[in-house]
Amino acid sequence: MADLRPLTALGADTARSARFGALTLTERPDIALASLALRAGAAEPAPFGLTLPGPGGLSGSQDHAAFWTGAGQWMVLAEGRAETDFAAELRAVAPGCSVTEQTDGWAGVDITAPGADPLERLTERLVNLPPEALAPGRATRTVLHHMPVLALRHSDTRLTLFAMRSAAASLWHALETSAQRQAVS
Amino acid sequence: MLIPHPLLGLRDAQEFTYLGDAALLDRPSPEGEGAEAAFCDYVFLRGNPAGVHRELWFHEQGDRSWLVVTRNTLTHEILGAELASKVAKALKGAAE
Repeated sequence: MADLRPLTALGADTARSARFGALTLTERPDIALASLALRAGAAEPAPFGLTLPGPGGLSGSQDHAAFWTGAGQWMVLAEGRAETDFAAELRAVAPGCSVTEQTDGWAGVDITAPGADPLERLTERLVNLPPEALAPGRATRTVLHHMPVLALRHSDTRLTLFAMRSAAASLWHALETSAQRQAVS
Repeated sequence: MLIPHPLLGLRDAQEFTYLGDAALLDRPSPEGEGAEAAFCDYVFLRGNPAGVHRELWFHEQGDRSWLVVTRNTLTHEILGAELASKVAKALKGAAE
C-alpha cells in the first residue's frame, strides 16, 4: 500500500513558522473550518454555545469561534481539530442549517506580535480597510494582493488570515515580504 | 473611491464589481398585454444620465451582497448605498 504523508498547504510535513522583527508568522494547518448558512426564515442556532456575531464580527474562543461572512452566513472554526470531521459535529448542533466542510479549502497563517502596533502597521499596508474593521473581535473577508482572504483579529496581538489553499505560497510570500520590509524600516 | 456599505461601513471600490442600472431590479411581468414590448425595453433600453444614477454593485471580495449605489456620473461622488435585497423587497411590496 502506498505510504501517504499528509502535507501542509505550504507543502511540508510540519507547519512553517518565521520571525521578522516583532512579527511572527505561523502556518496553521490545525484549524478546522465549516461554513454555516441559515435557510430562509430559519432561526439562528447557537452552536457550541456561541452567539453568532453580526456583520464584521468575530465571537468565541480557541475551542470554537464564529465570524460573519455574509447575510445569514458564518464560518465556524475550531483550533486543533482539522483532522476530525468538524462539519459533522457542527451539523449536529445546528439542525436545519446548511453546513459545509471548509477545512481543506483554506490555508491559515497566524500573525502574532508582542503588541497591537506592529500588527496594525502591517495590516495598513496589506489590506485597504479602515482600522476599526480589523479591531480585536472583528473579522472580515477582503482582498490582499488580489487574493480573497478572511482576516480575523482575535486579540490585540493576534491576527489570522485564511487564503485559498492553492494560493498558500502566494499568501506567505506577500506576508513575508511585507513583514521583512517592516522589520528593517 | 469608497462605497459606504450599509452593513460593513466604508469599503474600497476595488472590492466591488459593477453591473449597471438598478432599474434591472424592476423586472416587468411576463404576462398580459404588451409584455413582450415591456421585456424588450427591460432587456435592451438603458438610461445614460449625466448626473445622479442608481446602479447595482456586487461586493464580490466582501460579503457578496448586491448593493444599489447612488452615484453622480459627472463627479463620481457616491451619494449613498443600500442593500439591493431591501430595495427589491420594497419594489415587490409596492407592486402588490
